[in-house]
Amino acid sequence: MEERKKILAIDDEEDIRFILEEELTDEGYEVHTLGDPTQALDTIEEIKPDLVLLDIKMPQMSGTELLGKIRDRYYDLPVILLTAYSSFKRDIACAASDYYVVKSGDLTELKERIARIFKVKI
Amino acid sequence: MASPACTALPLKARETLEAMGQADILFGIPSFNNAATIGHVIRAVKVGWAKYYPGRRAVLVNSDGGSTDGTQDVVKRTLEEDSYDMSLVHTPSLPLRGLTIRYEGIPGKGSAFKAVFEAARLLNVKACAVFDSDLRSITPEWVQLLLAPVLEKGYGYVCPFYRRHKYDGTITNSIAYPLTRALYGRRVRQPIGGDFGFSGDLVSRYLEKDVWETDVARFGIDIWMTTTAMVEGFKICQSFMGAKIHDAKDPGADLGPMFEQVVGTIFSLMKTYEARWREVAGSRPTAIFGFQAEVSPGPLHVNVHRMIEKFKEGFDKNQAYYEGFLASDCYTKLAEVREMCSESIDFPKVLWVKTIYNYAARYHDAGDKKRLLDSLIPLYFGYVASFVRETETYDDYRAEDVIEELCEIYEDTKPYLLQLWTERVSEE
Repeated sequence: MEERKKILAIDDEEDIRFILEEELTDEGYEVHTLGDPTQALDTIEEIKPDLVLLDIKMPQMSGTELLGKIRDRYYDLPVILLTAYSSFKRDIACAASDYYVVKSGDLTELKERIARIFKVKI
Repeated sequence: MASPACTALPLKARETLEAMGQADILFGIPSFNNAATIGHVIRAVKVGWAKYYPGRRAVLVNSDGGSTDGTQDVVKRTLEEDSYDMSLVHTPSLPLRGLTIRYEGIPGKGSAFKAVFEAARLLNVKACAVFDSDLRSITPEWVQLLLAPVLEKGYGYVCPFYRRHKYDGTITNSIAYPLTRALYGRRVRQPIGGDFGFSGDLVSRYLEKDVWETDVARFGIDIWMTTTAMVEGFKICQSFMGAKIHDAKDPGADLGPMFEQVVGTIFSLMKTYEARWREVAGSRPTAIFGFQAEVSPGPLHVNVHRMIEKFKEGFDKNQAYYEGFLASDCYTKLAEVREMCSESIDFPKVLWVKTIYNYAARYHDAGDKKRLLDSLIPLYFGYVASFVRETETYDDYRAEDVIEELCEIYEDTKPYLLQLWTERVSEE
């Protein structure tokens, strides 16, 4: 039996973490959540996720700053950036993410992006 | 006395470089009649070196293709001038050594780069940075942006990441970027950007290759360097350089040999690296460095009417040729686009991708490759005109979303390429 893919969702908003965990677990993924981005690198080291979902705007550290640190240490770890505002896409740092998804109550686009990432073969 | 065989470095330049001993960094600037702009590029490189790497021994090589406009005189003068004080940087204790050479071999950018590579190997440098000589937007920071990932972070190859006008770089946007991404699975936004940083190890790898009698010696060099680095396991990143302002051209103007040499090199590399790209599905991003700043690449006028006319004329002229080798579904739809085309054009993206895949699969057994690539140019004009129509009210960022959409179609349509390739190439 194929092992479930592990997703780490990092978002300072508890409601968002809850929705992501509920919906993505229903999709068959093993979902871990984290509210404090300063703990992200340790958590990644510990649980070794197959994908990170990363909120861009967090009080302790921006998602794009954290993305740079993730790329530095885990060059090929897939990351999807999540944000409430599409204007963040103008930040060139976003180009280092696999995808950029605008938050919505409907997770269809996010689920499609996750599925696409897990089909990548390089 | 002649230089050793298969070298792009003239003997005198080789002797000069050998006398220099070792260096840490080599700056390479190819040129051909760039007297108006090359001085600015050299000043930026000198100041960048003085600001960021004053303790590193550096050599600047201008590799010229026989300019008649005084380019090499400008290079000599600019190398000798004191560019530091006015730029508020200290004059380094070590001098920046420099020379301008007339490279040997097939005239073209790739041969110019070969001379730079040979110089880098002679000097046993740790890192190289190369810059186009028509750049107007280069700043001293570009030196650090292309070298620091190599010298300080262990990357093998650094590609530029620019803000460009939505209609600048249409070969990149419609073919080089999306096709390379779909083939090899790595998103490098400006694979033929012209300005690159790379390690001494990668220089040695480049010089092992027997490609200098091909289009790689001409405009194929950029895509060849990027693809080789990508496929042969060198760690790649991108650096945000700001805007690229250079002698940009209307994509509807004469493409000259550039289109054929770039696209021909991509197709040719598909044979070389077939085993690699056949296994790839989807794509992954590439790390990016640099400081975010809002920049505007400036206006660029595009003549859509001329592109549509070239599409129509070219299609009519080549119609029988297209019908002879394109898959029937592809040919039929292209004929429909031609039929519907008047003052406007709607060239579906999936049709463009299938067209490129048909050409890629045909390239290897085409008796006359130039004829084949020539026949693609009118279709390229048709696609670009359609892209311009679709994005004419968009800003550069929104136009980028359209390019991203095209990239995903290239990725999703790759099984079609595999099928064509298996039928036409693998059975040879």
